[in-house]
Amino acid sequence: MSARPAGDFKITYAQDMAVLHTAFYRWGFLLLVAALLLAPLWLGNRIFLLTTIGIFAIGATGLALLTGFTGQISLGHAAFMAIGAYSTAALTGALRVPFLLAVPLAGLVAFALGALVALPSLRIKGLYLAIATLAFQFLTDYAIIHAVGEGLGAISVRAPRIGPWILRTETAMYYLVLAVWLAAGAFAANLVRTRIGLALMAVRDRDYAAQVLGINLLAYKALAFGLAAFYAGIAGGLWASYNRLVTPEHFTIIQSIDYVAMVVMGGLTSVWGPHLGAAFVTALSQGLKVLTPMLIAIAPSFGQIATPLREIVFGAILIALLIWEPGGLAMLLRKLKRLLDLWPFSY
Amino acid sequence: MAEFLASGLLNGLAVGSIYALIALGFALLYKSTKILNLAHGELVLFGGYLAIGLTHFVPFPVAVILTLAAAAALGFAVERVIMRPLFGQPVLSVIIVTLALGYIVRGVMVGLWGGATRQFPTVLPTGTVSLGGLAVQRVGVYSAATALVLLVVFWLFFRYSLVGIAMRAAANEQLTASTLGVSLRRVFAYAWAFAAVAGAVGGVLLGLWLGVNFALGAVGLKALAAVILGGLDSIPGAIVGGLAIGVIETTIGGYIDAHIIYGFKDIVAFVVILVVLMIRPYGLFGTEHIERL
Repeated sequence: MSARPAGDFKITYAQDMAVLHTAFYRWGFLLLVAALLLAPLWLGNRIFLLTTIGIFAIGATGLALLTGFTGQISLGHAAFMAIGAYSTAALTGALRVPFLLAVPLAGLVAFALGALVALPSLRIKGLYLAIATLAFQFLTDYAIIHAVGEGLGAISVRAPRIGPWILRTETAMYYLVLAVWLAAGAFAANLVRTRIGLALMAVRDRDYAAQVLGINLLAYKALAFGLAAFYAGIAGGLWASYNRLVTPEHFTIIQSIDYVAMVVMGGLTSVWGPHLGAAFVTALSQGLKVLTPMLIAIAPSFGQIATPLREIVFGAILIALLIWEPGGLAMLLRKLKRLLDLWPFSY
Repeated sequence: MAEFLASGLLNGLAVGSIYALIALGFALLYKSTKILNLAHGELVLFGGYLAIGLTHFVPFPVAVILTLAAAAALGFAVERVIMRPLFGQPVLSVIIVTLALGYIVRGVMVGLWGGATRQFPTVLPTGTVSLGGLAVQRVGVYSAATALVLLVVFWLFFRYSLVGIAMRAAANEQLTASTLGVSLRRVFAYAWAFAAVAGAVGGVLLGLWLGVNFALGAVGLKALAAVILGGLDSIPGAIVGGLAIGVIETTIGGYIDAHIIYGFKDIVAFVVILVVLMIRPYGLFGTEHIERL
C-alpha cells in the first residue's frame, strides 16, 4: 500500500479514504466496467462464464466480509446459498411473489438464519466454529433432500420476470447478474471503511479487546454472519433463476470449500479478492473441463484420472498459494504492478 | 426392542472401536500440533485404497505392512513439505491447507483406482458369530479385536517409549518441552506419521468390513464427531468418543433411520457435534479454554 506514485498527494480526508485511490485504479475500474458492459459483444455465446463468475463473486464477497474482515471461519457458506435458492424457488413458484421482491426476501431469509448460526459463535470460536458451520452445512443438505420434492430435492424455478420483461436469454440474465454484482461489490467495498467495517476488523484482530472498546460482540458477529448469509442468499436466488432448476448437489460441502478457496486464492483482506478468486476458480474449473477431453485424445490412459483432476489441481494451487503468497491473487497483482511501475530499475 | 438395543450396542461398539482408533490419531495430532486435520478422512481412504491396490500384487499381510509404511512416509512428507512452512500461520490457513491436502490425496487415490466399491480378498472367515444370543458379523469381531489390541499397543508406546514420552511432553507444554531438549519438529513429524498410520489401519479395518470406496473419506467426519464429544485434546476422550459415536450411530441413528426418516444414520454424527458444541464446547474430557486479554 505504501507504494503510491510520486506527486499523487492526498489533501483532503475524502481523497485519503477513497476506494479507488489513484488515477490508475480509477481509469482501470472504468475500463473494467466498460469491458463488462460490452462483454456480450466480445464473449459471444461464452457469456455464461461471466454470469457464473458474477454469481459466485457475489457469494464470495459475503464470505470475504465474514472470514477476511471479521475473522470468523465458515465451512457452510453453500448452505446459505441453498437457502436463498430454495427460498427464491418457493417464493416465485408457489407464492407468486414478483422476482424483484423474491430475491431480496430470499436474502433476508438467509440473513435471519445466518444471524441464528452466529449465536453460538460467542461461545465457540476458531476451530470449533469451523466445525459447527461444517455440521450446519451437512444438516442443511440433509434437510433439503428430505423436505423438498420427491426425495431428491429438485425443484424447478420460473424465469425471472421484471415488470413487462421476462429474462429468458443468456444476455438478459448476464445484465441482471452484472447489475447485482456491481452493487454487491460496491456495497462491500464501502462497508469496510465505515464504522461497521472498522468494528468488524476490530473483532477479527482481537475480539475481547474490541469488546472492551465498546463493540457489542454479539451484535457485530451476528451482523457479519447475517451479511455473509445475505450475500450467499442473493447469489443462490440468482443461481436458481439462472439455472431454472435447483438441485441440492450444487450446494454441497464441495461448493462451500470452493467458496473458501475463492476468498483465499483471491486474497482474504482485499475488497478485490473475492472477485479475483471467483473469476480464477470458475475459469480454472471451466478450463479443466475443456482441457480434459484434449488430454484424453493425446493420452487415452489419462481418462481415469480426469474426474479427480480438478481436486488435485485445486489442492495443489491452494497449498502453493498459502505457502508462498498468503495474500492471494490480489497481493500478487499488486506486486506485479509495483514491479512494472519500477521497471527496469527495481529501486 | 431390547434385542434391537442390545445388538445395536454390540455392533456399535465393534464399529466404534475402529472410530476410536481413527479418532485417536486425530486427537493426538491436535494435541501435539494444534492442527485440526480435516484431511483425516482422506488418510483413512488412503489406507483402504492402497491396501486393496497392493493385495493384487502381494499377499494380504505384506500389503498391510507396506500400506502402514507408506502411510508413515506420507505423514512425514506432509509435515516436511506442507506443514513446516506454515508453522505459526493463522488457524484459517492451516485448516484450508488440510482441506487442500485431503483434496489431493483423494484425487490421486480415486484417480488411480476409481470410485467404485471394491472388496478385499477374503482373508478373514466370513459369516456371523453369536455372542450371548446376538448375531454379530465375524469381520466386525476381528476388526474390533484388532482395534483394541492396537489401542493397547499405542498406550504402551506413549507410556514407555522415549519418542512417546517426548510427544506427550510436547503436547502438554510445548515451550517447556522444547527447552528441555525435545525437538518440536521431530515431534510434529511423528505426530503426522502416527495420525496417518492410525488412519490407514482404520481404513483397512473398515475396508475389510464394508468394502472400500470413495465414501471412506467421510469416516473422518465421524472421527471429528468422536473427538469433539470426547474433547479435542484428550486421548481417552477420543477413545470413549469413538465408541460412543459408534453406539449412538447404530442405535439412535439406526432406529430413526428405520422408523422415522430415511438416511438419518449418516448425519447423526453432525447432530452430536452441534449438541456438544452448544452445551460443552470442550467436550467430555477436554481442557476448558480460558482466554485472557
